[in-house]
Amino acid sequence: MSDRQYPAPVQRFLRFFVGNSVVERILISAAALVTAIIVSSIIVLVAGYLSGEAYNPIEIFAVLVNGAFGSPFALDSARLFTEGWSPVNFSMGTTLKETTLLIFAGLAVAVAFRGDLFNIGVQGQLVLGGLAAALALVWVAPFVPGGLVGTLLLIPFGLLVGAIVGGLYGAIPGALKAYADANEVITTIMLNTIATGTAFFLVSAYFADPTLQSVKTRPIPDFARLNGIVFPQGGQFSLVALVLALLATVAVYYVLRYTSFGYDLRVSGKQAAAALYGGANAERMVVSTMTLSGALGGIAGAMWSMMVIGAWRQGVPSVGFDGITVSVLAGNNPIGVIPAALLFGVLKGGSNAINFQLGVPPELVAVLRGMIILFIAMPEAFRMLGNRLGIKPDPASAATGGGGNE
Amino acid sequence: MENITKRFPGVVANDQVTLEVERGSVHTLLGENGAGKSTLMNVLYGLYQQEEGTVYLDGQEINFETPQDAIDAGIGMIHQHFMLVDTMTVAENVTLGNEPRKWNGLAYDAKSARDAVRELSERYNFDLDPTERIEDISVGEKQRVEILKTLYRGADVLIFDEPTAVLTPQEVDELFRIVDELTEQGKTLIFITHKLGEAMEISDDITVLRDGENVGTVDPGTATRESLAELMVGREVMLEVEKDERPAGDPALSISELVVENDEGVRQVDEVDLTVHEGEILGIAGVDGNGQSQLVDSVVGLDVPDEGTVELDGEDMTRASRREHIMSGMSFVPEDRQARGLVMDFDLVENALLGNQYDPDFTNGPRVDWGATRDHAEKIIDRYDVRTPGVETASESLSGGNQQKVIVGREILRDPDVIVASHPTRGVDVGSIEFIHDQLVELRDEGKGVLLVSSKLDEVQQLSDRLAVIYEGEIMDIVDPAEVTDRDVGLLMAGEMPDEYGGGDE
Repeated sequence: MSDRQYPAPVQRFLRFFVGNSVVERILISAAALVTAIIVSSIIVLVAGYLSGEAYNPIEIFAVLVNGAFGSPFALDSARLFTEGWSPVNFSMGTTLKETTLLIFAGLAVAVAFRGDLFNIGVQGQLVLGGLAAALALVWVAPFVPGGLVGTLLLIPFGLLVGAIVGGLYGAIPGALKAYADANEVITTIMLNTIATGTAFFLVSAYFADPTLQSVKTRPIPDFARLNGIVFPQGGQFSLVALVLALLATVAVYYVLRYTSFGYDLRVSGKQAAAALYGGANAERMVVSTMTLSGALGGIAGAMWSMMVIGAWRQGVPSVGFDGITVSVLAGNNPIGVIPAALLFGVLKGGSNAINFQLGVPPELVAVLRGMIILFIAMPEAFRMLGNRLGIKPDPASAATGGGGNE
Repeated sequence: MENITKRFPGVVANDQVTLEVERGSVHTLLGENGAGKSTLMNVLYGLYQQEEGTVYLDGQEINFETPQDAIDAGIGMIHQHFMLVDTMTVAENVTLGNEPRKWNGLAYDAKSARDAVRELSERYNFDLDPTERIEDISVGEKQRVEILKTLYRGADVLIFDEPTAVLTPQEVDELFRIVDELTEQGKTLIFITHKLGEAMEISDDITVLRDGENVGTVDPGTATRESLAELMVGREVMLEVEKDERPAGDPALSISELVVENDEGVRQVDEVDLTVHEGEILGIAGVDGNGQSQLVDSVVGLDVPDEGTVELDGEDMTRASRREHIMSGMSFVPEDRQARGLVMDFDLVENALLGNQYDPDFTNGPRVDWGATRDHAEKIIDRYDVRTPGVETASESLSGGNQQKVIVGREILRDPDVIVASHPTRGVDVGSIEFIHDQLVELRDEGKGVLLVSSKLDEVQQLSDRLAVIYEGEIMDIVDPAEVTDRDVGLLMAGEMPDEYGGGDE
């Protein structure tokens, strides 16, 4: 019985989301997806009417999904499948590239969330982790033999540098919260700006590639990059990176569920007073949780440098911010981050296809993407909000499992 | 209120309760913690909706969806925890939400607010200055501001939720005077309390609730304390604890000259010297809020004292971390089981690990051995008679007594050298109380040191081998619980030295 009172309609509304089981949550997400498609179809029709073009919403969504995987279905002919379609194609590569980066960013946010910390600073950790990995590789590469040996040495090295720098940058807001009681939401937002500014300054003043006009580091030598092995070179996607992302997901799940550290982290996130009672050091937990979160963000940055760009340049995409939504979609569950990141990847890959194939303006496609994410994320966001406000599920629906007590 | 039933997961908080309150009377709802008193009143106040039953006000059926509905119908509630804005004045707090306006509603009319509050305060003899800030006034005055708030909103029926829990004895007298004043002017008062004495003193009628059921409405004029107590707990109250005399051994826990200050530098614990010997239960009696929590926190490693030392088995633990305390054999049953002792969302397996997550018995290096932890949880449930559908039940859906048994079981099975138990039976049903008492005595008989803090006098008196009485952070005296009279302990708890004592020879 909490002493805080919220208006009854708010309580009733949030209570609905708090009490949902996993199956119900999945069903709600599916219903949200359908609603999102209906609502955005209306938007598409209205937008088409206003601009004098006749957009067909069904066609747009078909191309969105189909295009994300390189058009496996032949939409405009009698045959179902496109002839000669192979899962290894450019669009699929783009989709999976986004998915990979978002898995790391989503994990970073989810780990912090589980410890009741809101790490909005993944973007900054990603920017600096990516820069550090690129610079380290450019420097070290000349001292390492090329070829396979070099690849095997330098790829882990680059990722490690990204993790360390991202982790240290995440530790700063952690330490500020633990020892100076500074709200991590505020500090991470500020540190994002600082990271972007610092990276830009460092590269433009000291580390710019002299042969280019733009703010970009020297290229990472080819053998130190995450190249396409199965997927075409130009696709900026490496299957190795995806495998690493899946391994990282399992590792994070394992740490949270099966280690003493993970137990402390989860207890700290659920009930700080109980964590202290159980012997966790509150300050150290905040710092180490933020460090782990930052390290995952740093790896995302290193992946971007080593896989997507092959250097570091200004204009890092907002993967770190998208990671927040991915984590919310996943209910902060590391395993759930995989499908959530994939959904984001599909929307990203598919919207390129809409642009190419149908000539729908990219802004309208972005609106559709936003609608889908908004609809699917809101129930989870309400659930988290309800939990945070201490609203309990409706007794009538929860009482079934509670027999046998006094 | 007729046949009110309200269920929570796994618990029936109110079972067909019928309550009739006469206009202009003081009606007390008496019962132990968890008897369903507050739940019943929260139904009346519109915070909860009953599953069955009907509420009538002046013969008319009513159904409040929110507290606002109840307030509109003239029902006000004064909660135990005040809901006041510290930085605002008395008048501003009273009028908050129903502010008098001027300039066609554009501005807050501070003057008429002050006048209205002053007028109300004078009518009921509240002795409040409307211009004072909440942060500058005493707890008793804050409570009066809360009462004024409900009166300002036109309440005729006032519900008081454990109003005396936070008050000093003088403030309690003052409150009772106000109660008389209010009933004289025709207000109806409902009092929620578990204190017998109060109920007898101020009520016109007393309704006793036990386990969510109305077990009788009595007239305080004819009822005796004993009969009321029996109604409350359902059987003879004085639970005799079987305990043999046994000589105490070496010091297990030594606390010397311990000082804990709060943020303002006020001493919460003032030069406390205590020694718990092996095979001894040292009780600490005192009214809640006299520094017990601060003392316990600095003994168990949740807080570092400002001065003094804490030794465990001869080893200095004053600055040691909480984990070091756990590792060196100290168990701790915390006062607030739902905030500290258990993670409410976690199931019993995960809760069995709390505090053991670095114990080699439950881990392999950095890895948790969930198999061993599950066995441990099953052992706790089995040995400590925890009523639960299984180990995978969230601790949230257990009753208070069963939650407490999980904690006590976990802490005792840790095989400690010293156990610190803070209000171990608070809000626990009678059957569990007996069980927990037996466990503590058994630990003592095994030669462990037990430090027992409780505000229940009969509990500490019966269990302890020696009884220390704390008042405003100071140990008044250490007495032999077998010989001391209730009256003398009562005086010590109130900060007075009984006549036969020369001085505080601690």
